[in-house]
This record gives sequence, structure tokens and C-alpha cells, in this order.
Amino acid sequence: MKKFEVMVGNKAVAYAAKLARVKYISAFPITPQTTIVQYLADMIANGELDADYVTMEGELSCQASAITASTTVRSFTATSGPGLLYMHHPMHMTTWARLPLVMAVVHRSTKGMQPDQMDALSQRDTGWLMMECQNSQELLDTGIMAFKVAEDPRVRLPTIFMGDGYILSYTSEPVEIPAQEEVDAFLPPYERPIPMFPEEAEKVREMMGELWSPFVDPQKVWKTQQEASENAKTVIKEVNKDFEKWFGRSYGNGLVEEYKCDNVDAVLVAMGTIASTAKTAIDQLQRDGKRVGLVAIKSFKPFPFEDFQRIGKYAKALGIIDRNVSTGTPGGITFTEIRHSLYDLEERPITLNFHAGMRGKEVRVEDLKRMAEKTLKASRGEKVTPLVEWV
Amino acid sequence: MSKPVPLSKLDDKEFIVPANSACQGCSGSIVARVVSKVMGEAMVRQEVACCGPAFGNIIQPSFYGEVFEGAGAMMTGFARAFNKLGRDDIRVTGIIGDGGTIDIGFQGLSSAAERNEDMLWVCYDNEAYMNTGGQRSSATTRYAETTTTPVGEFSRGKKEAKKPLPILVGVHRVPYMATASVAYPEDFIGKLTYAKPVKGFRFIQVSAPCPTGWRFDPKYSAKIAKDMVLSGLWPLYEVVEGELRITYKPKELKPVRDVLVQQGRFRHLTDDEVDEIQSEVDSFWARLKEKDGGPLF
Repeated sequence: MKKFEVMVGNKAVAYAAKLARVKYISAFPITPQTTIVQYLADMIANGELDADYVTMEGELSCQASAITASTTVRSFTATSGPGLLYMHHPMHMTTWARLPLVMAVVHRSTKGMQPDQMDALSQRDTGWLMMECQNSQELLDTGIMAFKVAEDPRVRLPTIFMGDGYILSYTSEPVEIPAQEEVDAFLPPYERPIPMFPEEAEKVREMMGELWSPFVDPQKVWKTQQEASENAKTVIKEVNKDFEKWFGRSYGNGLVEEYKCDNVDAVLVAMGTIASTAKTAIDQLQRDGKRVGLVAIKSFKPFPFEDFQRIGKYAKALGIIDRNVSTGTPGGITFTEIRHSLYDLEERPITLNFHAGMRGKEVRVEDLKRMAEKTLKASRGEKVTPLVEWV
Repeated sequence: MSKPVPLSKLDDKEFIVPANSACQGCSGSIVARVVSKVMGEAMVRQEVACCGPAFGNIIQPSFYGEVFEGAGAMMTGFARAFNKLGRDDIRVTGIIGDGGTIDIGFQGLSSAAERNEDMLWVCYDNEAYMNTGGQRSSATTRYAETTTTPVGEFSRGKKEAKKPLPILVGVHRVPYMATASVAYPEDFIGKLTYAKPVKGFRFIQVSAPCPTGWRFDPKYSAKIAKDMVLSGLWPLYEVVEGELRITYKPKELKPVRDVLVQQGRFRHLTDDEVDEIQSEVDSFWARLKEKDGGPLF
């Protein structure tokens, strides 16, 4: 029988870690992430979860200790906003050593308590994979999938799964909790990704030698990460399908979710809870006969480059919503990535950009409808300005 | 409490294999060699940015973390994970410089000590950031000239006193804390041998004179280390279960001047400045003797 519980997003995240049977958790409080590690502490105190739980003195140490722990056991940590920024430096080490650590990020602005994506997107070049979520169920499911993707031998990259603070972290909704036996069958036990035991000293020497040797191509470490990140596109799609088989839920093709995109002239593109709200806007617009759909970015890293080339062939205009800012570049981060994806198309669609939801600024259904109307107008070849708009 | 162990008892097996890039007369590399021999096959070594990689050609597994401040946290992760898999036989051992211990690594050190993590942290103290070219650290002795505390018309070298780290670690009430010196290997090996089977947080800070940074002839490393102990600049003591014990008591302290004049970094010192260092050493030694055989606090 299916088991449902009404829970906040942070509890769904804690359930994901618990069902993945993590063995090491490094914890430090920061709003709005804090209750994740509180739920996990309770689960351990109650005997529901057998994990080593370490309360560190700061997020940098959370990351650094999870790096070494993940050489040996499945490890987990979670953070938000400034806490993630504080982890930035060891996060490069995690990818360098190719450790499949999984981390939950509850978005908090870098300039305030309310959510935007600046915390995670400031880490975009660390080499971590990043998966965005729209609701609490998706947080739980993505958390479990994240371990499987990260640990796949074709990938072996640390992975963030993330969702908006407050909007998800502290909002209750019904969530189905998968059965432990099924998760165990879906997610195989942890295999130590790199050797670290004394009896493997020879292999450790080889590995560290490779990382430090002056005779190895200095760029190799990024080249192999790039290859792994490309592989991740295939693996994420497979894992998403596999998840569907086991649990009856999946999220688009794993990289993007195309919502009501049949016979449309234009699409809105969004990531996170804005995409969830945008579904209501699309429903209302399509009821009125407007030919506009929604593309939700599920995987930010690897970026669904090929999917946007495909989408760019059926949509004449894309209205791209960025809950982030890349100062000094006209347009937000996903806007830039998508335009880059579309460059090789023979007939390029029009792209518009909307900065919205920064520092928790509310994005309402009517705001999204207006953005969709503007994008539709552009798809009919009418001139619209400005190209990049602050909503 | 520790007992001196004769050098002849040290394992013949070398874990640090020849060909490394340490400077001539490097006492840090002696520390690493001795630690590896005492801890033996089952050691996993943690390193952070320091001179360590220069004497890192070792047989035991070694994880060089590009996280300067991360020694305490990274060793925590190893210790916890090995323990979780039932590999309590693995001895997580850090060979960390004074910067990674006392300055940038201090937060992680203090919290690993507070949580009483199962690790041995050996700090080889060469009193500055020697690997980056001899910049001042909080382990640098007062008035020492370093590349960031140059001596000039308006500067007399480092203004501040050396941070009393052994005492700070001692007040964390860890199972074991000791100071040691490369010039007293029996005392050092004895302390390592005592610390090896102890569960929980163990810390040894070893005086490791650096010919390059302190500016003396490399053949005098051991001599200077010895004179530091004999002059009270580097007292040898340990704290076991909160009890402080001086492990080597010179009958009478040599004047610090005799040690300072051997090092180029103190060449500029005036008599008054030498006297100031002497009085600091005298007062610390007097307080240490008062505490000897009793609680640290």
C-alpha cells in the first residue's frame, strides 16, 4: 500500500537521505536548511537511521569532512545560501577527487534570507551536477535519484539536488514515501569510489600521483570531468526512467520537463518553484486558446544543451525566466546557456529574458501570464522590448 | 603517561622512501619519518598545504587535501567513515604544519578536539609558512624576521608573542597532548608510542627548526632544536587526563641569547629585545614548573 504523509520540503529531503541509507552526515545549521539536519538527528535518535552524524563547526568543515568520509561510505550534507558559499573552496576538491557526495541545497539568496538561485549558481563551475526541484515530492525523489546518478561509474561526480527555501522548505504538502525495500532495490549499496585503505596503499599512491604529477596533462582533470558530465546526461535519463518503473513517477526526460508543449508557438522556460507556478499560468492561457507551453529545467548541470536545440525547433520564441543574475552579462544564467545552445540552429527562435523572484520577490500567476503573452507576441514576429526585463 | 623509547626500538622499515624535495637539514621530514615508523602499516596520512608534500614520498596511503584549513574536518571524515565500516585498525594521522594547525586550521583543530575525534594530529612547527617562502604565522617567535615581518627602520620583526597552542589544546581536555622535539627522539618516540593506541583526539606539537627560514647552516638543525629545549624556548611536556607533566627538566636553563644568535632571523636583536624574550621564557617555565605534576587548569 502506498504511504503518504503531509510534510514540509525539508522533511522530504531528510527522507531521501534516510531511504538512501546514508552512513555519514555532516551537519551545521543555517536557515532555511536547518530542519533537514534536525529531522535526520531525530531519525538517528529514534533508531530509524543508522548513520554517523557529526555536528561540525561550520559549512566548510561539513564539506571537507564529507569529502573524506565519502571515500569510504555514502555521505550526505545540506546547506543554504551563505553556507554554500562558505563550502565553495572544498567543493572543488570534491570534484577533483571525483567523489559522489550528495548534498541538498535549500536556496537562500546571497543577499538576504529569502530564496533565489544565486547560492547554487555561484557554484556552477565547481564541476558538481545540479538538479532543481519544483515541489516536496520531487525533492524526495530527486534526492534518491541523485545518489544513483552520482555513484554511477560513468559519472562519479558529486551532485546537488535543490529547491527554493521557504516556498518548499517550510510548506507542507502530501508526499508519497517510497518503501525502503524498493529503494534498496533501486539504489545499490555504496561502492567505495577511490581506494583509501592501508592495504591499498599502492593504488592510493597511483591516484594521488596522477592528481599531482607534473608529467600528466595538467588539463586532464577538467577534461575527464567534462566527459563524466556529458555521460551524466545519459545516466540521468536512464535513472529517471528506472525511477518511473519502480515508483511510478518521473520528471520529464530527467533533464527537462516539457509541460503542455504540443502544438505551441512559444514556451516559457523556468527552473524551480517558478516553473510550478507557471503551470497554472499555462493551463489558464491554453484554456483561452493561447499556444504557449512551459519548459522546466530539471538538470542545470549538465545543462540540457541538446534538448534546447530540439525545443528551439518547435518554439518560435522562448521566454526565459531567471531567478538569478550574472552581473556584467546582459541576461541571466539560464538565458545565456540557452542562447548558446540555440546558436547552431539554422533558424533560431527569438529569446526573451525575465529576471524574476530575486531575494524571494513574489512571482504571481498574472506575472507569468504577462511574460507568456509577451513571448507569444514575439513568436508572431512582433517587436517586443526590452530583451531582458526585470519583473 | 609516556616513557622514553630508545631509538633502537624504532622500526627498520622506511615508509618515507628516498628522493624527496625537502630542503637540506629539514627537521619536518624527520618528524614525518619518525611518525610513520611508529604508526606503522595501518596509518592513513592526512596532509594539507605545507612543506609536507616535499617529504611526501611515502608508502602509506596519503590524502593531500587542497583545503588548507581542512585538516581537522578531513581527518574527522576519515575516522568516522573507517569506524563505520568497522576499520578501527586504521590510524588516521595528520602531519600538518604550524599554519595549518595554529592559524588557518585552528577552527577545525579546536572543534575536532572538542568532539574528541579519533585521530593523531602531529604539528611539525617550523614557526612560519615555510613552504610559501617563510611568512609569519602565529607560531612565529616574537622579533623573528620573516618575509612578511621584515626588519627595517620602522620594523623590528614580528611584534607579537608565539601563540601558546599546546596549552590551548590542553584546555580542550583531550585524551593526550604533548610537545616534542626532533632533538629528543627518545622522548618523541615515547610520546608517539603512548598516543598510538589511545582512542580519541591526540595532539603532538614538535619543534622542527628550519634552516632555510631561520637562516642557519643545515647541519645545525638538531643542535638548534636541542638548544631550544635546553634554554626553555621549547619545554617538553605532556598533558594526560588533564594532568601536566614536564617530561624533560634541564637542571638550569641556558640563556636564550645562545640559541638566538645562531639564527639569522634574530640577527638584528638588541640586548633589550633579547632580555624581553628571556623574561617571557623564564616566566612561562616558572609557571610550567608550578603546574608540573598537577592539573593544567
